[in-house]
Amino acid sequence: MLSYLSLHDVNAPTIAPTGLAHGVHGPSDVRFQDIKKVYGSVRGGAGTVALESFDLSIASGEIFSIVGPTGCGKSTALNLLAGFEATTEGVVAVGGQAIVGPSIDRAVVFQHPSLFPWLSVMDNVTLGQKCRGEPASRYEERARHLLHEVGLRGFEKHYPYQLSGGMQQRVQIARALIGEPRVLLMDEPFGALDSQTRLMMQELLLRLWQGFKPTIFFITHDVGEAIFISDRVVVMTGRPGRVKLSVEVKAPKPRDYSFISSPEFIDLQGTLLQAVHEAAASVYEAQAGGVLK
Amino acid sequence: MTSNNIQPSARPNAAAKPSSSALFMSDALTKPLLSAVSILVLLVVWATLSTSGILPQGYLPTPSEISQDFTLLATQGYKGVSLYDHIGISLFRALSGFVLGVLLGVPLGLLTGFTKTGNALVSPIMAFLRPIPPIAFIPMVVLYFGLGETGKVVLIFWTAFNYVHVNAHSGAANVPLAYLRAAKSLGLTRWQQFFRIIFPAAIPQIFTGLRVAMALSWAVVVAAELTGAQEGLGYMISDAALTFRIPTVFIGIAIIGAIGLLLNLAIEYLETRIVHWRGR
Ligand SMILES: Nc1ncnc2c1ncn2[C@@H]1O[C@H](COP(=O)(O)OP(=O)(O)O)[C@@H](O)[C@H]1O
Ligand SMILES: [Mg+2]
Repeated sequence: MLSYLSLHDVNAPTIAPTGLAHGVHGPSDVRFQDIKKVYGSVRGGAGTVALESFDLSIASGEIFSIVGPTGCGKSTALNLLAGFEATTEGVVAVGGQAIVGPSIDRAVVFQHPSLFPWLSVMDNVTLGQKCRGEPASRYEERARHLLHEVGLRGFEKHYPYQLSGGMQQRVQIARALIGEPRVLLMDEPFGALDSQTRLMMQELLLRLWQGFKPTIFFITHDVGEAIFISDRVVVMTGRPGRVKLSVEVKAPKPRDYSFISSPEFIDLQGTLLQAVHEAAASVYEAQAGGVLK
Repeated sequence: MTSNNIQPSARPNAAAKPSSSALFMSDALTKPLLSAVSILVLLVVWATLSTSGILPQGYLPTPSEISQDFTLLATQGYKGVSLYDHIGISLFRALSGFVLGVLLGVPLGLLTGFTKTGNALVSPIMAFLRPIPPIAFIPMVVLYFGLGETGKVVLIFWTAFNYVHVNAHSGAANVPLAYLRAAKSLGLTRWQQFFRIIFPAAIPQIFTGLRVAMALSWAVVVAAELTGAQEGLGYMISDAALTFRIPTVFIGIAIIGAIGLLLNLAIEYLETRIVHWRGR
């Protein structure tokens, strides 16, 4: 199927996780090894198997996106990588080290603004550095520079509620990047923004990535967004979530909006949309079957 | 007949429309005006009722009786204690108990709300104690501490502590998960999370507790003074009622109301100054 694309159909009988282990950027950095995640039952109901046989390798410095139907376990995967949740089976590792909890190595940008409303923009961005005992002379200059880069010069003393949704997300990104994390985790960070703002944020993200080239683990339900920013896009199956399809995006970075109308973009979009649609349809059928029973 | 009925009812409707929208537009002006009108009406009703002779003599003092008695209270005091000292002692009892309750209730509530152990330790006890009206403890407090100052302050402390603790606890326990996760990813230690995230995030809820605790402290001090006190506003009104000095009772009640209002305004003022992010 569509052999001119570098597709890797993991639904094929033989699962070959090692085939995914080396991205274009070098050795594997993030590794999900045969993960199972079951959420405990609430009020006597059956537990939810969110992820099963979830296997993934992300190369160092790679921008990696996950798309898939709602409830397929995307946020669950991110929470495991962030260290917010523990796996039921299997190990998530970064640089060969199993994850035991949150760390400043793995910065997170949340979907909904999670800025602290009692702190100014500047204090939000620098809270981590301050708490680590770094001298203000060192981090303040860096924060100012970073806020300038995300287009928020002059907003240092504002409070989060005085900013638009897009500006708040830029503050979150600045807060995540100031510690130069090894991995940047983003859970539908632009999901609540209008399409104009979104495109600008995507370009901004690519520009910022050029700085120190962190590995980016990006969740979105927008296939176009995934292609635009990523080196690789993975489609997940419906629950329990597994990798259904993995495609590489070869266009060189930095990219601008003209990439959206290129043949490569359009081909990939077609393939990915079809896979996402299949996954969503199977979820829908499973639900309908459950109702009919 | 039918057409006659329709027309007059249609006209006021049509006329009411523009005037109601005018009322809506000048909201800022009409609201205080309406309040002033209602207060004025109340005063007029009081003056006519009290001077009309409909009610038995002395039950409802006239405005002039009130003002005479007020002058007397302000210059001579009540039962050898000046009016200001009656007010002062009530305020002192209420505020000292309140402050002690806050000083202990806020940190303890934050701790028990933040830590799993604390939560498990105090939650069941709190759930039992919370619905008990504070004045139900008066007999016990009198038994343990007698009729002196200690007993009253302990009672107010207990009242304030309960409400402040409950609110600080639930404020800390309900801090959004995303705040805590963000804090952990930023490398904050557990103590840093407590002081820099849990505490500020709980402040709006803490203020809810402060407002309730303040109102109750004031209510409970008056209740405690009704029996077993020689000074204070509660003592003044109950003693004046026993000796049938009705104007003093009314003045005492009005002062209690005014001070309760001022205390509430003071906390609301603090809240708007500190919690600038509330509701945004
Ligand atoms: N904390 C939790 N407790 C119980 N079930 C959960 C929890 N978090 C997620 N789930 C369930 O796990 C499944 C996957 O959720 P999630 O990872 O949030 O999906 P996605 O982000 O792809 O929409 C869903 O069925 C969801 O209801
Ligand atoms: Mg999600």
